[in-house]
This record gives sequence, C-alpha cells and structure tokens, in this order.
Amino acid sequence: MTDSRIGRRYAQALFTTALKYDVVNSVEDDLNGIVNLLDKDPDFKHFLIAPYTSRDEKAKILDRLFSDRITALTMQVVRIMLEKGREGDIPDVHREFIKLRRTHEGVVFATVTSAEELDNDQKKAIVEKLAKVLNKKIEADFKIEAHLMGGVKVAYGNYVLDGTVRGALSKLRDKLRHDLLKQS
Amino acid sequence: MSQPQKSFGPYLPKLVIGAILAVGGYWFSVNVHPEFLNKIHDQGIPLDLGITIAVIGVFLILFPVINFFYVTPLQEAIGTRNNDLERTFSEAEDLRNEMQTMRTDYERRLAETEASAREQIQNQIKEAQNLRQSLMSEAADKADELVRKAQQEIEQERDRLINDIRVHVVDLTLQATEKVIGENMDSAKNRKLVADFIENLEVAK
Repeated sequence: MTDSRIGRRYAQALFTTALKYDVVNSVEDDLNGIVNLLDKDPDFKHFLIAPYTSRDEKAKILDRLFSDRITALTMQVVRIMLEKGREGDIPDVHREFIKLRRTHEGVVFATVTSAEELDNDQKKAIVEKLAKVLNKKIEADFKIEAHLMGGVKVAYGNYVLDGTVRGALSKLRDKLRHDLLKQS
Repeated sequence: MSQPQKSFGPYLPKLVIGAILAVGGYWFSVNVHPEFLNKIHDQGIPLDLGITIAVIGVFLILFPVINFFYVTPLQEAIGTRNNDLERTFSEAEDLRNEMQTMRTDYERRLAETEASAREQIQNQIKEAQNLRQSLMSEAADKADELVRKAQQEIEQERDRLINDIRVHVVDLTLQATEKVIGENMDSAKNRKLVADFIENLEVAK
C-alpha cells in the first residue's frame, strides 16, 4: 500500500523542477507513458514492485526501457525513487503531478458521466459551456454509466451537476418521501 | 415470743392465810368447844366452827392453786387463741383487701388492654382499608397507563405502517416510471436531454 503523502512530496519536487526548466508537459507525458505501461503490462508492474528483484537490476532495465524515451528529469526522479524503494509510489506521483499542474494552470478537472457515449460535438459543447460559466480552462474525463438511463452528470471539485433521468427520479423520490414524512 | 414467768408471789398471802386458817380451824375444832356451839348443836344444827374455818382456809389455798394451774393458763390460751384468730382474720381481711385491689387493678388493666386492643384493631383496619384503597388506585392508574401506552403504540404502529405503505407505493410508482422511461428512452431523446442540460447549465462559482 502506497502513501500518498510520499507521492505528493516527490510530485511537488518534480513539478517545481519541471516548471523551472519549462518541461512540465514533457514530464507529464513521461509519467503518463510509465503509468500506462504499469496499468497495461502486469508483468512489468510485477517486475518493478517485486522485492526479490535487486535495485541494480531494476535500474538497468528501466534505463534500457526509458532512457531514450523520456526526459532526463523524469528518468532521474524514477532512479531516485528506485534507490529509495519508492517505485510503488510512481502512480501517486503521476496523480499528484497532474493535480499540481492543473492548480498551477488554473484548470478545473471535471468528470462527465452519461448513459450513452457522447459524440465529440457534445463533449466539446459541455467543456466549452463549463469553461464559460466557470471562466476557467476545463479538462474533462468522460465516463459511461448505463444505469443513469439518460442525460448527463458533471462532477468537479465538490460540486455535482446532475442532469440525468436517474438523478431526476432520485430527487422526485426524495421529495415524495419528504412530503410523506411531513404529512405523518 | 417468750411466755411471762409464772410466780406464786401474788398468791402467797392467800396461801399463808389459808394454811393458818386450815391449821387453826382444825386445832380450834379439836381443842375448843364454845358453849353457843353446843346449844346450836343441841337445837339440831351440828355447826363446827373450827372445821368451817379450816374449810375456808382450804378454799383460800385451793383457789390460788386452781387459778395458777388452770384458770390463768386457760385464760392465756384463750387470749392467745383470740389473738391468733384476730390476726388471722386481720390477715385474711388484708388479703381480701389486697385481692380486691389486685382484682380492681386487673380489671382496670384488662379494660385498658381491651380498649387498647380495640383501638389497635381499629387502626389496623383503617390502615388496611387505606392500603387497599391506595393499592386499588395504583393498580387502576397502572392499568390506565398500560392502556394509554398500548393505544399510543397501536397508533404509532398504524402510522408507521401507513407511512411504509405510502413509501412502498412511491417506490413502486417510481420503479414503474423508471421502467416506462427506460423503455421509451432512445438516442434522440438522450441527445435532447444532453442538449437541454448544456443549454441550462448554471454552476455555483
């Protein structure tokens, strides 16, 4: 089990350095690639986290895999985490790095959930409308949940904008129950 | 109690005089023959003055002796007996008076005891009646309270069941609504819902 506080510290140091050298996007791409590889290749993940594989061996493999594909800064951080035995915290560093980058750029991250997959025009319209009403840049992640029946739900920060049929029915149910309780 | 010592002292003069008269009378009878006694004897009256005097002397001796040995002890015995009887009667009277006093006291105490017992019985009866009244009142209150609670619980349970039924009806209605909406939902309607959502989107900044 990883400790997000550790990941936050590494991410903070990495983001500060990346910002200093203006390689924030490159580093984020690097981290995206590494985390995608960890998610999609269980063998690689197992190799990286396995305690019986020596650090030198892991370092050699990672050098061969990433040294010519990722920036030197990202590679250096990965090496340091490997030396400190924090290779399992790389996903946390990735997540915290993105949060720091969004905060720095004033970007609002929104999760858009719909019953059916939205087409590009709809996605674009939702992002643009959010950006307009929030007056901030929007990054969105789109999900599909069929049980919503219809409509769309947008969640960002501590807010949820529910325009789904399921949400409307839930509100109706709550209102009816509330009225019944008031009657009794 | 010691008896007084008997003594011949008071009788001694009489005894001496009696002895003298007896001896003198006898002597007179033997040795002296006066003329008038002869004349009296001749007239048919055989009076011997000496013997008469001797008899008087003997009586004078005999009376103290009888008095000393018979009359006085008898009088003393009678007196003692009378004293004993008087003392016995007095003691009997005292005992009778004491018994009368005791009886009076006993009767008084008995009456007091009976009165006290009656009073205690009356008090106990009154207390028992009060207790009975109190218990009956308490039991009635408890019964009323139980009935009231039961009625309240029945009303609460009835209200709860009615409310549950209403909630259940709401759930069933909403389930039916979901089913109807789900069956009638298509991509076009969904696109319209999304478009309406985008158009009406307002957020808290």
